Amino acid sequence: MGRIIRLWVFACACATAATPALAQQPAPAGRIKVVAGEAVVVRGGNTVPAQNGFVVFASDNLRTGKDGRVGVTLSDDTQVSIGPNSEVRLDSFLYEPGQGQLALVLKFIRGTAAYVSGQIAKLAPDAVRLETPAAIVGVRGTTLAVEVTD
Amino acid sequence: MPKPAVHTPQPAPESPNLVVLLPDPGKTTAGRAVVSNDKGSVELNEAGAAVLVSSGQPPRAVSIESQAVQRKFADALASLPAPPEHFVLFFRFDSEELTDESRRLVQQVLVAVKQRPDPEVVAIGHTDTTGAAAKNIELGLRRANAVRAILIDAGLASAAVAVRSHGEATLLVHTADNVFEPRNRRVEITVR
Repeated sequence: MGRIIRLWVFACACATAATPALAQQPAPAGRIKVVAGEAVVVRGGNTVPAQNGFVVFASDNLRTGKDGRVGVTLSDDTQVSIGPNSEVRLDSFLYEPGQGQLALVLKFIRGTAAYVSGQIAKLAPDAVRLETPAAIVGVRGTTLAVEVTD
Repeated sequence: MPKPAVHTPQPAPESPNLVVLLPDPGKTTAGRAVVSNDKGSVELNEAGAAVLVSSGQPPRAVSIESQAVQRKFADALASLPAPPEHFVLFFRFDSEELTDESRRLVQQVLVAVKQRPDPEVVAIGHTDTTGAAAKNIELGLRRANAVRAILIDAGLASAAVAVRSHGEATLLVHTADNVFEPRNRRVEITVR
């Protein structure tokens, strides 16, 4: 993690020098590709209906109602989907392989989810952390199903 | 959460979390995962392996029938998007012109794009190490833009194709500087 933070600070310093406005703006993390029923994106306290093509960012939560489901593909090819009455948070996401910035933290909050690992897990498995309320899951090139019972 | 200093009888586990290792897409084999908390850890290393874990309890391996997994996770699994596809197109020396072989591969890229309801393409241009690094950034970008033009001509929305260039920074075949290497003159395409 130390390496990632150092590189990140370095990259921020460079980016700030070149384009101060851009450095503030987080890069899109991925897009919603599959959506059905009641499904929303929760961003900073606001709730937006989930739609195909909707761009998701780090810190977004995906949440579904009783008939809802939603699937996203992140820019490193990671795929995450949730079933009904479920919620997952994209806690952090950094994918700049050229600069060694790689991080993915997913929090499975409730309900059912599926996860298919992407490039970050391939390039830096330790940069991926999947969290459930009771445990942390470390991965090595993996497809998982996760259930968090209320 | 502060923990009691003295061991008291543990309440029945609440809100157990279930983690199941599944085969990777298109394969029968699985990767690996380790489920851990401050009470212990369990490694999952074959498809179908599962762990149950409750807060404050060590994770424990459990067996769960694949039919039960399919039932429980049917909606979540059905909501996984189509897996991303990757293509590499090669180019002539110092040019944004595709090799003849790669020209034929373009059709497969177009098929992958057209199969998706909401396609998204990233094209990253690369060069070999012949010439100056700065010039190669430009050449890589011209190559990526050539791919973008082909996709837009075929009907893809311009906003759906992102282009980037790594110039000579990310070689497919590692060489010294100023080495003529056809396999490094390429555009790597991801279709999501």
